[in-house]
Amino acid sequence: MKFKVASKILEANDRIALENRRIFSDAGVYVINLMSSPGAGKTSLLETTIAGLKRTLKIGVIEGDITGTDDAVRINRLGVPVVQINTGGACHLDANMINQVIHDLPLDKLDLLVIENVGNLVCPAEFQVGEDMKVMVLSIAEGHDKPLKYPLMFQESAALIINKIDLRPFLDVDVEKIKNDALSLNPSIKMFELSCKSGEGVEQWTSWLQTLTS
Amino acid sequence: MHEVSIAESLLKIAVDECKRNGYTKINNVRVCIGSASGVMPEALLFAFNALKSETIASGATLTIEEVPVSGHCSECSVDFTTYENFVLCCPQCGSTAYTLHAGRELDIKELEVD
Repeated sequence: MKFKVASKILEANDRIALENRRIFSDAGVYVINLMSSPGAGKTSLLETTIAGLKRTLKIGVIEGDITGTDDAVRINRLGVPVVQINTGGACHLDANMINQVIHDLPLDKLDLLVIENVGNLVCPAEFQVGEDMKVMVLSIAEGHDKPLKYPLMFQESAALIINKIDLRPFLDVDVEKIKNDALSLNPSIKMFELSCKSGEGVEQWTSWLQTLTS
Repeated sequence: MHEVSIAESLLKIAVDECKRNGYTKINNVRVCIGSASGVMPEALLFAFNALKSETIASGATLTIEEVPVSGHCSECSVDFTTYENFVLCCPQCGSTAYTLHAGRELDIKELEVD
């Protein structure tokens, strides 16, 4: 006996992602899913962003790592609400993991929630967790071949932070190629060149964030 | 990637659907996997066969239909189809002004049951 099934295999994740989205929307909080390779500067970017916007935006953070609480400790020092998820081995956050901690943050009191995903340039791009937008970070120290090698990440992201530009004098990296290749993959991707260390370019990024949450 | 967790989800949906319709044994599951879905059919089959043993699908086969990527280029107006895993530009003219209608599916289509 044969019968038809009309089901998406990832339906369970997407259903929970939609539920998360509804919870965030009801609370009036804008949600960013922040992705990058390990070491590109996601947590540093968060520290810099929080320092720059603390007086104007109420920010909360969900940290995702395989193990450990280093990132949550760093964010906690800045006095903003933060929850740490340890995946125990999974290489990306999924909607269910977010759903498990969604009520551990005072969402009604937040303007912006940043979900810092597990450091990984492949898998996080494939999963919705209930975010309004995916943003990725690429440090120039990773090289200018990354957009074409990891296209999905760039195609799925609304914004690209090109980080560590203070290192430009010490690297043989073609930043224009990074930008051109990113645009060829995603003509509407918004790009910000900045350095969390020197502060260069940060204000353009934080100003843009403010427009998203207003 | 993640063929194991995808196989787990696939088995759960198949088992739930089978039971919900009053059947007790799954003989075959037919799925459609898009070329640009990121899922490798061989790895999915391997994971399916490894995970099915403790379920009512323990004797089931998995039929995988690969769906090519298809889209339309607004630059040269061509409708294109390809089995490539990624489309970075129109295969005809190289423009990035294209849209895709198919190729990223991960769908269960049919069960054969007793």
